[in-house]
Amino acid sequence: MNLAAMQGLLPLLVLGLGAAVLMLQISIRRQLGWSYAITVATLLLGAAAMEPAMQVAPLQVTPLLRVDNLGLFFGSLFCLSGAVTAVISRDYLRSREGENEEYFLLLLLSTLGAVILAYSTHVAALLLGLELLSVALYALIAYPERGTLPLEAAIKYLVLSGAASATLLFGFALIYAALGSLEYAEIAVQISAGRAATSPALILMGAAMVFAGLGFKLSVVPFHMWTPDVYEGAPAPISGFLAGVSKGAVFIAVLRWFLESGFFQYSSLLAGITLLSIASILVGNLLALLQTNVKRILAYSSIAHLGYLLIVLVAAGVSPEPGLAVEAGGYYVVAYVITTLAAFSLLGLISRQSGDREYDQLSDLAGLFWKQPGLAALFTVALLSLAGIPLTAGFIGKFYLISAGVDAALWGLLAALVIGSAIGIFYYLRIIYTMTTVGEQANPGTTADMLVGSRLVVYLLIFAMLYLGIVPEPLMGYLRTIL
Amino acid sequence: MLDFLWLIPLLPLASAALLMVTAGSLPRPLIAACGAGSVGLAALCVLLTGLSWAHDPVPRQMELWTWMQVGTLRPTIGFYLDGLTLVMMSVITGVGFLIHLYSTEFMEEDESLSRYFAYMNLFVAAMLILVMADNLLFLYLGWEGVGLCSYLLVGFWYRDPVNGAAARKAFVVTRIGDTAMALGLLLLFTELGTLDIQQLAELAQGKWQPGDTTIVLATALLLGGAVGKSAQLPLHTWLPDAMAGPTPVSALIHAATMVTAGVYLIARNHELFLLAPPTLLAVAVLGLLTLLLAAFTALNQHDIKRILAYSTISQIGYMFLGLGVGAWSAGIFHLVTHAFFKALLFLAAGAVIHCLHHEHNIFRMGGLRTRLPVAFWSFLIGSAALAALPFTSGFYSKDQILLAAYQWPQIGPWLWAGGLLGALLTAIYSFRLVFIVFFGEAQTEPDRQPGWRMALPLSILCVASIVGGWISLPLAEALPATQSGHPAAAVEWISIAIPVIGVSLAYLIFLGRQLDLSALVNSGLGQRLHQFWYSGWRMDALYNWLWVRPYQFTARLLKDEPVDLAYNGVVHTSVALHHLLSNLQTGRMRWYASTMVGGLIVLLAVLARAG
Amino acid sequence: MPGLQVPLEHVLMMAAALFIAGLVGLMVRRNIIFILMSLEVMLNASALAFVAAGAHWGQADGQIIFMLILTVAAAEVSVGLGLVLLLQRRFKTLDMDNANRLRD
Repeated sequence: MNLAAMQGLLPLLVLGLGAAVLMLQISIRRQLGWSYAITVATLLLGAAAMEPAMQVAPLQVTPLLRVDNLGLFFGSLFCLSGAVTAVISRDYLRSREGENEEYFLLLLLSTLGAVILAYSTHVAALLLGLELLSVALYALIAYPERGTLPLEAAIKYLVLSGAASATLLFGFALIYAALGSLEYAEIAVQISAGRAATSPALILMGAAMVFAGLGFKLSVVPFHMWTPDVYEGAPAPISGFLAGVSKGAVFIAVLRWFLESGFFQYSSLLAGITLLSIASILVGNLLALLQTNVKRILAYSSIAHLGYLLIVLVAAGVSPEPGLAVEAGGYYVVAYVITTLAAFSLLGLISRQSGDREYDQLSDLAGLFWKQPGLAALFTVALLSLAGIPLTAGFIGKFYLISAGVDAALWGLLAALVIGSAIGIFYYLRIIYTMTTVGEQANPGTTADMLVGSRLVVYLLIFAMLYLGIVPEPLMGYLRTIL
Repeated sequence: MLDFLWLIPLLPLASAALLMVTAGSLPRPLIAACGAGSVGLAALCVLLTGLSWAHDPVPRQMELWTWMQVGTLRPTIGFYLDGLTLVMMSVITGVGFLIHLYSTEFMEEDESLSRYFAYMNLFVAAMLILVMADNLLFLYLGWEGVGLCSYLLVGFWYRDPVNGAAARKAFVVTRIGDTAMALGLLLLFTELGTLDIQQLAELAQGKWQPGDTTIVLATALLLGGAVGKSAQLPLHTWLPDAMAGPTPVSALIHAATMVTAGVYLIARNHELFLLAPPTLLAVAVLGLLTLLLAAFTALNQHDIKRILAYSTISQIGYMFLGLGVGAWSAGIFHLVTHAFFKALLFLAAGAVIHCLHHEHNIFRMGGLRTRLPVAFWSFLIGSAALAALPFTSGFYSKDQILLAAYQWPQIGPWLWAGGLLGALLTAIYSFRLVFIVFFGEAQTEPDRQPGWRMALPLSILCVASIVGGWISLPLAEALPATQSGHPAAAVEWISIAIPVIGVSLAYLIFLGRQLDLSALVNSGLGQRLHQFWYSGWRMDALYNWLWVRPYQFTARLLKDEPVDLAYNGVVHTSVALHHLLSNLQTGRMRWYASTMVGGLIVLLAVLARAG
Repeated sequence: MPGLQVPLEHVLMMAAALFIAGLVGLMVRRNIIFILMSLEVMLNASALAFVAAGAHWGQADGQIIFMLILTVAAAEVSVGLGLVLLLQRRFKTLDMDNANRLRD
């Protein structure tokens, strides 16, 4: 381990060190303000550490991790997203009793897992990242002491996620048995060297199980059932983290695995992914159609969005020049993570003082436009972005995706995308409509008592969603250079 | 100054945004100052641009910003500045400013002053984008923007459902043209891979021979857009109804600027149209037919604004005729002079309407010559220019078009003769208007006189309508020259004489009463012809009969029938599927685990089959 | 000594059988303790497959992954047991079928 490697791993080191400091702080003296400050500072520093790390990139640090621009960029995106979650959580936890310091510790560890995923080029790193992310999340989901819902959500997530991990590992074991390697690049070499021909069934079975395991984390149909329950039960900021960061990180890991280990060459795997993608798009949107719980709507919408994202994998596999597809995927992930965070941030912020339950029913949002125009604007922009309306980040992402799909001539998937988006517009606009009606119930606290940090985050998120929609070219150009 | 080109559309746009956001909470004088001032500043910027252009008249393209780059598609925000752009910008901001100034008095008592100026400024911004854009996609943004503003302003007094219907009609009818234009853009993009206007011209010349099917189709689709926006046959029916908006709106949008966008579009893409002689012929013939049809109709109207609306349609017909016969500069020249005198006429008509308790019927006016002298002189000068009496601006521009038509091979003389007939009719109907409204017995007393904010724009436009013909426009670089060669002197003399004859006829019929046509008018045929022309050749009825009625009939027929069933079926299926899937979300973890196992088995099966 | 004493296929079959046993347990068991045990069986089945494959290729990697899996399983189960305690306290039962308040 030389100095360059240390420099490349700086973001990871910062996060790890921050977690250690936080643990010490908690053990010395419990003080929520300090824990919060350390967490946010660590996450921001972790994001900033991308800069020095980039000077040594690309660099392979042990077979496990690869420091390159892709990993660094998305790593810092996840750090920033973690920071946003921390800020919103601070406001969310203010009125909720209990010892909340460990909440931030878990959040920090979870983010560390996401960043490791973005770097992973080896099964072991993938496993470590995935489990660090998930185990911390089990505890975060169950954190609130309100009622039974968080607990139920946490147990469901723990058991099913554990099963998915086991499936994923079994799949990797089969691939290892067939090819004798756990490193992506090495696997690719073995596949192209023809060793795969000796036991194709083993490899395909393995790939299917790996995909099923990762598909669970991405909540792709038919591995999606847990999503609405867990999002509904978890505290709103954590639901946002689950939907945004966790899925984004796993998708980046999938993208790496899929492209670097050469599995995109298997057309049968592409056929399977196509099927899952179409199913996710249709089922996700249909399930959201008449749902009245906003968190569940967002959960179903995230299922559909991951369905859209899977198009990237197929396009990258089919088209001779996968660059456009990967760019589209990168852009979509950024747009999706920001938008999802924004949407769940709203739910976290209006539930600041909601007591035992959260304001997550559609009727709770009635009249929000007149009570809290700022928050309503945030949610409106987020919903428009999710629906893919022009001048928002979501539109550019979807447009990019469609271009990639057209480029690879994936007409079936594109048809599903169009139908899904059409259904989507209905339920997104229904939420916006509800916010404009004059509601009598629900009195989400006024904007006046929102913390400065939360307010700043709200403005930043609105700005980011609009900026990426109106001025997409800088990010596009950047992604073109790093992918 | 050329570096600050972007400021020109931004000024009115910013003002529109400000007025929209404040939503009428500003004090009224400030609203008016903001609305008119922003356009005034833009006009000033155009003037400065023109001055620096005069030093260094080289066309230039400024790419400000690339929205995004996906594959070959690269929509940009960019401006192209040449003589043509400069002329259009001057007209839009110059005439636009005068009309805004006029509006500050005309709309003084309207409660929605802020909304009015917001829409007007937005319109100016969109129109500027339309003429400054360096690529057709950005141009299309402006094109749709002006359409939207036109809709909003025609229906400005939305409490009266008639106005709403007129706005809808304007929007829907132009939309037919816009759709054609969008298809044309897509066709050009798929064929040539770019929408940059200059590149298109170059690539098209390299790719196609004159008369190739693809370019003819593409230009025909563009022509469809132009015909819709410029109210030419067969999509002209929306313009007379669009007079439901406030009069300054009619002056700005439906006379001086927006309706001439089609002319601009064709002139801007003249390289493409030159590759498609059949389309050019269609432009000329459509122009001729429109100008005749509209002139006949104008002769029989009694609403002062409808007369002017039909005359606008007719005059744009002249511009199309000019473009069609290759007199590019003459067409644009007529666009400019028409902007002056038609804005003048509309504003003068607005002054009459304003001072006469919103009276629109010319037969209830009369004798206003001494009572509203400002309006009278404006109207007289405007009508003289419209009728193309010698030494007015309209004379020079129309003369150029007619001469070019005469020299056009094959059917040229026919086009010329048709144009002359139109000119005769123009002279008659315009002076019919003057004689009936301003001479004779007084019918209604004006209750006020126009103030300086109305009188000043009128005076300036009077001057422009007279001297406008002596300006030489900097179009030599931008547009191909008209073929030279002087026709016989007789041809020139005839085109000078025709308007004079027309005015004399109008005098004899409508003022001197020496020529009594009442017997003819009252005869059965005369009555029927009058009715026929009054209703605009029954175009509305025809369309009603051809399109609207069958559509409504089909709609009624299908109300509970297959098509609706299909739509409802989609809804019902979606809802049924939603419930079906929703019932699967039982909340039981063991069931969830089972579905995952099922999914894994299906996935394995798919891979096994496919592999 | 590189190589595996028994055929790799046999060990993989064995691991698959264990894995399926765990899966079935997951689907049919209602008691959360047994569900967690099934989960352990599944995780260890994959660990077994890794060890076998590692031995087959004569690499240490398989055993390292095995250690990792053990650690991960321990972490999962320790959080899981914590949640089991809470479940018993709040629901007064360990039957997961009773915990279905989160549903459509």
